Amino acid sequence: MSSNRVAAAAVIAIAAALFAATFWFEKMPEGITRGFGAELFPRLVLGTIIALALLLALLPAASEPLARIPPMVWYSGAALILFTAIVPVIGMLPAMFAFLLALGYLWGERRHLILLSSAVLLTAAIWGIFVKGFGVQLPKGLLA
Amino acid sequence: MEAFVAGMGLLLDPKILLVVFLGTVIGIIVGALPGISGSTTTALLLPFTITMGPVPAIAFLGAIYCAANFGGSITAILVNSPGDPSASATAFDGYPMAQRGEAGRALGMSAVASAIGGIFSVIVLIVAAPLLARVAYSFGPPEYFALAVFGLSMVAMTGGDSPVKNLIAGAFGVLLATVGQDLTTGVERYTFGIHSFTDGIEFIPVLIGLFALAELFEQAAQLGQRTVAAKLGAVRLPSWQDIKDCTKAISLSSVLGTFIGILPALGATTAAMIAYVETKRWSKNKAQFGKGAIEGVAGPEAANNAAVGGAMVPTLALGIPGSTTTAIILAGLIVQGIRPGPHLFTEQPLLLYAVFSSMLLANLLYLVLGLGFAKVFARISLIPAPLLWPAVFVLSVIGAYAPNQAMAEVWVAIAFGFVGFFMKRYGFSPAPLVIGLVLGRMVEETLKQSLLIFDLSWGGFLNRPIALALFGLTALFLLGPFLLQRLRARP
Repeated sequence: MSSNRVAAAAVIAIAAALFAATFWFEKMPEGITRGFGAELFPRLVLGTIIALALLLALLPAASEPLARIPPMVWYSGAALILFTAIVPVIGMLPAMFAFLLALGYLWGERRHLILLSSAVLLTAAIWGIFVKGFGVQLPKGLLA
Repeated sequence: MEAFVAGMGLLLDPKILLVVFLGTVIGIIVGALPGISGSTTTALLLPFTITMGPVPAIAFLGAIYCAANFGGSITAILVNSPGDPSASATAFDGYPMAQRGEAGRALGMSAVASAIGGIFSVIVLIVAAPLLARVAYSFGPPEYFALAVFGLSMVAMTGGDSPVKNLIAGAFGVLLATVGQDLTTGVERYTFGIHSFTDGIEFIPVLIGLFALAELFEQAAQLGQRTVAAKLGAVRLPSWQDIKDCTKAISLSSVLGTFIGILPALGATTAAMIAYVETKRWSKNKAQFGKGAIEGVAGPEAANNAAVGGAMVPTLALGIPGSTTTAIILAGLIVQGIRPGPHLFTEQPLLLYAVFSSMLLANLLYLVLGLGFAKVFARISLIPAPLLWPAVFVLSVIGAYAPNQAMAEVWVAIAFGFVGFFMKRYGFSPAPLVIGLVLGRMVEETLKQSLLIFDLSWGGFLNRPIALALFGLTALFLLGPFLLQRLRARP
């Protein structure tokens, strides 16, 4: 299957699910909707999306398969999710410091002193500018 | 005129001067960093402008927008890797010039051509935006609906190569704008029980996800690719002979770039590419193009900076973004509680003229900074990815978190980071999605108002000549390329 057809199928599946979801929107009396219910506009847009996706499926596309996603993308994604998940536990600044070291190392930086200094400097800059300067209250975590 | 003088006077305010200077420096640096475009930076720094107040906030974002296009040329010339997509055409001749030891000459010409193109377009902006606003002042909801649909149709030519995919992405952006409470009925749409979605999806985490985090994943996929930097001697002002040789290229490209920038949704990258082709077409030295012709640097650089002022014309006068970055600046205005459009020219002329004058100043500043400190900016552009991108993520987290101090916004940013990455993988550009998101609410509101005016009859649009003309233009832009293709295919 061409990449266009894969993309069109995914778009139609998402649009159909979102179209179905409009049937669960709260119903309002005609006096309030004045003939333009909350579901009407999303349905118009989704109808357009489905029509465009059908057109996309008919268009020719490169037949060669897409290159595999390199594992580093998944590792980096996992690091981002892990970071966000641990913020409520250890607090944002410690999580940022750990993330700067971990992702830098994961991406191949082996000059430990440079890596450590950049993590310290950036975390300190975030604390100085945002916490002290702008008064942003960062999550402190369970340990605080 | 009084408002313009008063707007210029605001530049004497040290706070405004400082933000324009900072915006220009940041714009040049991020423009020079491969992978971080002007759009990414404005998206990333948008949350930090919330506390600034409207004038400094928009002056800051405007200065970044102006300077990033020039900054992109530094790496395009030195490492053949455009820091900003709009500088792609600059690399065609800039890098060959650098390879033969003329990097300083190429960068000097880039700075001068960029400043001329940028200043020309700001002058057009100062003249054209109020005129366009005056025309649009009599527009009612049906005309605005038609205008917004026209703006959306132009996304077909934005970002990716496939017009159909661009339109799908734009439509998804419009759909995203429907998340939250419907303004007329109070019905919640697509909130899925998530409390923070009740007031709609916030622009900032979506923009940060689509531009900064999606790019982080792109960079993760390209780790290990090495670039070789050409040596940079002193950056110098172009000689009189160079200026003479490039006068035609700069003039033509400044006009072209401004015009292309004014067209909704078309931005600096398209302007630079078209300007490169046209500069070559009208040049006496066609054979030199691709081998290091200085006109090949001057043309695209004048055009991509001219597109900046051009793109601000529909953004400020009509509230229709002229490019991806102006869509983000538009979001910045909305976050500040300002809805751009013709009424701005009567209600807040000072704000507008302050923006115009700060853009003029930014163009002059990057000329000086570009000639004086290109070497420093070039060095910054070589920060290794393992140090740069984790820092971008940390800034993204703060940017998404800070406005509402809510971790939910960080999750939204990460989710849109994945969405942006997969969109790009399958050939969908995130730029149309952003334009759709910014225009979505306007499309729905004006459609509802129009149908109420017409007693729910779509035929009412037939009695509105301006709306009809705009629908006609929309159809022409959407169907024109397909019809032309078919006509050409006929024996």
